[in-house]
Amino acid sequence: MKTIRKIFGIFLLALRASLRTKTVFALLLLMVTSVFLLPAVVKGDGTPQGDCHILVLYTLGFSFALLCLSTLWAACALFAAEIDNQLIQLSAVKPVRAFEFWLGRWFALLLLNAIALFAVYSAVYLQLRWKQRQPGWRESVQLVNRSVVHPLLPTPQEEAQEAYELLAKQKELPQGLSKAQILRVLTTKAQERYTIVNPGESISWRFQLPRPIATNELITIRLRFDTEYSTRTQVTGVCRIASDVLDAPMVEVPLDDFSLQEIEFDLSCQAFHLKHDLSGINLFFTHTGNPAKASALMLRFRKDVVVLTQGGSFEANLLRSALVHWSVLALLAAFGLTLSACFSLPVAVFSSTILLLLVMIGTSVTEVVSVEEEKEWLKKPGILVSRGVSAIAHHALRIDPLESVINGERIEDQAVGEALAWNVLLSPACFAFLGILILRRRELASGD
Amino acid sequence: METMNHLIQIKNLGKTFKDFWYRPVIEAVKDLNLTIQQGEVFGLLGPNGSGKSTTLKMLLGLLRPTRGTIELFEGLRPEDVAVKARLGYLPEVSHLHEFLTPRETLMYYAALFGLPQVDAKRRTKELLQMVGLESVADRAVGRFSKGMARRVGLAQALINAPELLILDEPTSGLDPIGCREVKDLVRLLAKSGVTVLMTSHLLADVEDVCDRVAIMNKGERCAYGSTRDLLRNPDMVRFSVSGLTAEVAAEIRLQLEQRAARPVQQDFPEMSLEAYFLKVVSPDANNTAFKVAPFLEKKQ
Repeated sequence: MKTIRKIFGIFLLALRASLRTKTVFALLLLMVTSVFLLPAVVKGDGTPQGDCHILVLYTLGFSFALLCLSTLWAACALFAAEIDNQLIQLSAVKPVRAFEFWLGRWFALLLLNAIALFAVYSAVYLQLRWKQRQPGWRESVQLVNRSVVHPLLPTPQEEAQEAYELLAKQKELPQGLSKAQILRVLTTKAQERYTIVNPGESISWRFQLPRPIATNELITIRLRFDTEYSTRTQVTGVCRIASDVLDAPMVEVPLDDFSLQEIEFDLSCQAFHLKHDLSGINLFFTHTGNPAKASALMLRFRKDVVVLTQGGSFEANLLRSALVHWSVLALLAAFGLTLSACFSLPVAVFSSTILLLLVMIGTSVTEVVSVEEEKEWLKKPGILVSRGVSAIAHHALRIDPLESVINGERIEDQAVGEALAWNVLLSPACFAFLGILILRRRELASGD
Repeated sequence: METMNHLIQIKNLGKTFKDFWYRPVIEAVKDLNLTIQQGEVFGLLGPNGSGKSTTLKMLLGLLRPTRGTIELFEGLRPEDVAVKARLGYLPEVSHLHEFLTPRETLMYYAALFGLPQVDAKRRTKELLQMVGLESVADRAVGRFSKGMARRVGLAQALINAPELLILDEPTSGLDPIGCREVKDLVRLLAKSGVTVLMTSHLLADVEDVCDRVAIMNKGERCAYGSTRDLLRNPDMVRFSVSGLTAEVAAEIRLQLEQRAARPVQQDFPEMSLEAYFLKVVSPDANNTAFKVAPFLEKKQ
């Protein structure tokens, strides 16, 4: 009970410290500006979808970025500034353990972030609903939430392993590269691998639905075709869809559209004439273009062909997105607090900002680095650091919730759970351990 | 004295500050040995840079000794939470959160001791009354004068009814009335069993309240013992009598000179400036404005 009282005392102090400084009001002003002015200032393509894109991606994205920076810097200040201006001396001589200091401050940041995110998300949601009343919007922008089902395929890692074994068997493995390096390249290639459908050819995929779909429900098929040179071309073909019941009748949907854009069509489950719920489907696509004129169609079978089923309300998806964002902020707060326990305020802020930038660009750095560059001793440490930071950040930023929201794709419970477990429990626990260890070892006064 | 309980025992304590490259820069405290008994008022004196504050910070666990040991409350280390629960500390500069009011400040420090809300509120109220800040209890500390902030600092040091009170320059920034009140408070607390360790530049303050003192210079202990023993000049005797006529005084002086076979110095004792100031500004200053908070009195 005493511990809770102590943590609550520290929590309350951190809240008061935040709410009674001008910085918070400046931040609030900036957020209000981003939420209400940004959609008005940024020019879209004139379509309601474009406006919706700006509102969700730009406004929420900018506000989130703003919150990321402010959380990181505020966390950096919480210990460092108190140590620098000796305010910590009075608290440190009280019977408070380092973890109580750490937790109290972290909880305060969590609450402040939750309030800020709630405000920003609510403002954006209200704007979306208000805009939906306007003519043109209701017809063209559907605020939906649909589960995404990918075809049943081996994972990219499994495929990479198979390809590696094949190369090894044929003694065609590239020289001078480790197994891990080769597997990494093969996995990346597997993720982006294309299937080519020549005119007259057919291709099929099997989908296992995550839950049985009732006969009165709709499912949506989404395809996106590409061509060899990524040019816009006519897509003419036929989609045949069948339930996974043996000898089930097929539903035929002709396609006449263009490549490089998403082609979606809805299908009522009643079309399958099933007596029970639908649990899986088989999708066949036949390229019916003229073999003499039409070009081959390509699609990334792990990304460009999906079945969408109803996944709940749009609001629930928005809430999941907010939860994922909140979890990232919780991780940043923990990270900032630990840096704050290690360094003085300017050093903590500088190093945290640099690391944040490294997280943002790290993946692109590691993607473009060549095998020769990896061997250069001058570039090696930088590549190693970028790769390490990217690997650590990969778990934290695995899902892009705004992209899912704008595409009307459900952010799965498992993904939210993983984000919360990794960003709010596991990583902060590691950072807290490190921060507490340093706080206990560090001298909190100078010898003046 | 040696048979009494040692509340603080410092043995061969040393502190060397190092630079960024871990090269020794300053030896702030050198081989310090001290014992402080339970219930006494101990004064640590010395000029600026003598190592007083560094010693206090090591006692509080804010700095780590380079050499030697510190034991508090019979065998506990300064970093132990059990030690921190039993002491109160007033730093040389109050270091208070400027955005908090005195009431919030005291409630915050009460929370750090894990005091239940009801007790914390009661103690806060009593301490605010004690230091005379009740009327400004809801004004931000950042707008206070140095003296008022000092009072808040003093109140926070007492929120847990400490057994050991460490005061670093407690009268700094206070007016003579405030100084007097603090000294009276120290005496009252000592009477109720609280051990007080204080540092001060104002030697008169220390002389007034301390049972024993240690004088430090350049990190070393130069003198150590009871205030009375250190200040007494065994070769000198002083008589103070009021109401003598000039003739009687001359006669006594003559007799003394004859008996001692030495010249006798005669003077008319002056009131100290502090006493005169208090007499002018606050005629009833003999009755201190500080009334010890009831929760602190219970220990008596």
